[in-house]
Amino acid sequence: MRLYADNAKCSGCRACLVACSLHLFGENNPKKAALAIVPHFPAPGTFEVRVCTQCGRCAEVCPVGAIHQNDKGAYYIQPDECTLCMTCVDECPEGVIFSRPDVPYVWECDLCGECVDVCGPGALWIAE
Amino acid sequence: MSVTLIPVGMLKEYVGGQARLELATGPTVREMLEAVGIPPTLVAGVLCNDLLVSKTYHPQDGDTVKVVAVIGGG
Amino acid sequence: MLYGYAGQILRVDLTRGVITKEPTPERVMRNFLGARGLGAYLLWTEVPHGADPLGPQNKLFISPGPLSGTLFPGAGKMDFTTKSPLTGGYAGASMGGMLTAEIKYAGYDSIILEGISPRPVYLYIDDDTVELRDATPYWGMGSFALEKRLKDELGEEFQIATIGPAGENLVKYACINHDYGRQAGRGGVGTVMGVKKVKAIAVRGSKGIPIADMDEFTRVAKAAYRACKEADGYEAWTRYGTMMVTSWCDENGALPTRNFRSGSFEQGANIYAPVFREKIVVTDKGCFGCPTPCGKYAHSKKHNIYVEGPEYETNGMLGSDLALGDIEDIARANQLCDELGLDTISTGGCIAWAMECYEKGILNQEQTGGLDLRFGNAQAVFALIERIAHREGWLGNLLAEGVKQAAAQVGQGSEKWAIHVKGMEQSAYDTHSATSMLLAYMTADVGAHHNRAWAITYDLAVGRDKVVPEKAAKVIELQHIRPLMDTLGCCRLQWVELGMSLDFYAPAMTALTGVTYSWQDLLHISERIWNLTRMYWVREVAGFGRVWDAPPPRFVEEPAVGGVTDGKLTSPEAAQQMLDYYYQQRGWDANGIPTSETLQRLGLAELVRVMP
Repeated sequence: MRLYADNAKCSGCRACLVACSLHLFGENNPKKAALAIVPHFPAPGTFEVRVCTQCGRCAEVCPVGAIHQNDKGAYYIQPDECTLCMTCVDECPEGVIFSRPDVPYVWECDLCGECVDVCGPGALWIAE
Repeated sequence: MSVTLIPVGMLKEYVGGQARLELATGPTVREMLEAVGIPPTLVAGVLCNDLLVSKTYHPQDGDTVKVVAVIGGG
Repeated sequence: MLYGYAGQILRVDLTRGVITKEPTPERVMRNFLGARGLGAYLLWTEVPHGADPLGPQNKLFISPGPLSGTLFPGAGKMDFTTKSPLTGGYAGASMGGMLTAEIKYAGYDSIILEGISPRPVYLYIDDDTVELRDATPYWGMGSFALEKRLKDELGEEFQIATIGPAGENLVKYACINHDYGRQAGRGGVGTVMGVKKVKAIAVRGSKGIPIADMDEFTRVAKAAYRACKEADGYEAWTRYGTMMVTSWCDENGALPTRNFRSGSFEQGANIYAPVFREKIVVTDKGCFGCPTPCGKYAHSKKHNIYVEGPEYETNGMLGSDLALGDIEDIARANQLCDELGLDTISTGGCIAWAMECYEKGILNQEQTGGLDLRFGNAQAVFALIERIAHREGWLGNLLAEGVKQAAAQVGQGSEKWAIHVKGMEQSAYDTHSATSMLLAYMTADVGAHHNRAWAITYDLAVGRDKVVPEKAAKVIELQHIRPLMDTLGCCRLQWVELGMSLDFYAPAMTALTGVTYSWQDLLHISERIWNLTRMYWVREVAGFGRVWDAPPPRFVEEPAVGGVTDGKLTSPEAAQQMLDYYYQQRGWDANGIPTSETLQRLGLAELVRVMP
């Protein structure tokens, strides 16, 4: 199972980022989300969505074995095991492992599906 | 040979609240609206299979025609 | 803890270069909510009576609302309020995009620009770091050229708002641009930013918005998103946006054509939504939090430009009203206005007036600076837009003042075809035969703008020429609901276009703020704000009253020519009767001034007694 995104349908609204932050952190703060919206403006005038493909590279490279899989099969960083070495952040091929100075661990998508629920154009979905 | 007419929103009030009507092919959209009692002037958009068409369009067998009013404008 | 709000107000004294932060006043937010409401309150209390809109005493109040930046459909709107250089009265302009959210994440519920900067500056905000930075290198740049430049220099995550050359040159209807396609368009809010020499605002914010009852708020919000996604009209609306109504307006005689001479355009079919979609649309682009993106980002191969638009208003005012029947030409005119920083509606209204003057021989080619200003001449339109923005040539400079001043200067009867109310050019609905909509334009609190009340379907449903109290009641109802969205900091189109239930708003506000609001409470606050902006006109404009609510002469003196409403008009008596019904139901006196009982009922009696 993984999250999929169709760039052509993304309108850049960022509702997905807010829903994600509410789920992961209990905060209304799109700067604390586990996916990314990249606008390409003024030309060609499209949005790009970067999502976790569940490739597992992060778990491979974590030097302390802090990255596990949850009951949906999604890779996640165990907060109290993370040493903030940033190896996974650098190695992630999609650039969808995130960090912030005020959070003592890095984080990634846990396949909760909240983003899918609030995406109007249906640019996001979860499937095999 | 039939067409499904879906009046959206407040237009349902003109057909006793029905969400879908099955109509025979042949007439134009305008004629269908007049026949079921929906004033054509209130219909801002006619979508045949989700593409905008004019009220002079003749829906074909199997078409789904949604008619939308402009409740509140821009 | 002020749940739902960022907690601080940023005050920028541009004259002295001093920036201060104040706590957001809780009582004011309870009574006026934020965004448009906060703007109206601050305009009343902080800008002295008689202030020159272009002078140092005027202020520009830039405010998100409580819903802005939260998980709620359409939570992407903000308000710009000021004393209008175009009309001399109240100006409040709503803008979508991403900026409103970013301002809240940076920690602010309002940004107040005061005084006048001695040199061009831009306001830089990165959470708690706030600076006025030199904008001299950027002065003269186009709006989106500068947005791109600042994003390159500061980082893509910064949200940018800019003025173009029109704001710098104090064109009276200069706008503020943002997010490669969104504007605070009307009333000269860009002019005020320009006279204060603020070229841009750049904001990055990293904080969360505090929510009183997180679980309940999320529950309500997700139900609202679901309702939008499941709406019957979803695909149609998202595919075409507001352009969808072009054909309907044309068929019903509401599409302004040749300076509102009629409501139907013989080339209309070339500028309907399907042509637009097929020829130039690239992306459906949405504001913050919006599940129902109306924005249509477009690329014109003919002119090799990108533009978010045209949307319906621009399609009418720069299209049919000027007799331009090529969607790519309209897109180009739209893009020119955006880049130069001009409100497309007022620009179209001014050019249409000039075209009619030219047609009638009142303006000659010397006065037009060599332009053959016939209706339908796209090249002349493009050239004139540039000249207006730069105040270049006699005509460019004249039109930069707005159609009311232009007609006053030129005279020769041209006031008769200056289509404005209170000095603001009318937006894109011809009202020869639509008495609710005419009343809406007569009574909107910024001038002839449709965003306060849009009632054409209602006119058609009950009888377009009828003059009945129910129509006034409808306009009043809409004038409370629609600007309420401008006050909450969210969009109205989820309700207006998709029928999303109004029942979501009070529970959302209650869960967000921890204060219990009913829908009636919210409407009451909206009515309060409506009466405050009315009183602002009373305070600032000598002799303000019924005569300022007068309709444009064209609709009550000259029948429409051609099209569905051929030969129709509304009599002047009918227009005044509509006002009578309206004033009565509003609790205003016969001259349209709120009575003291009404002001008492709305909790405004003390506030309006104080004259700063």
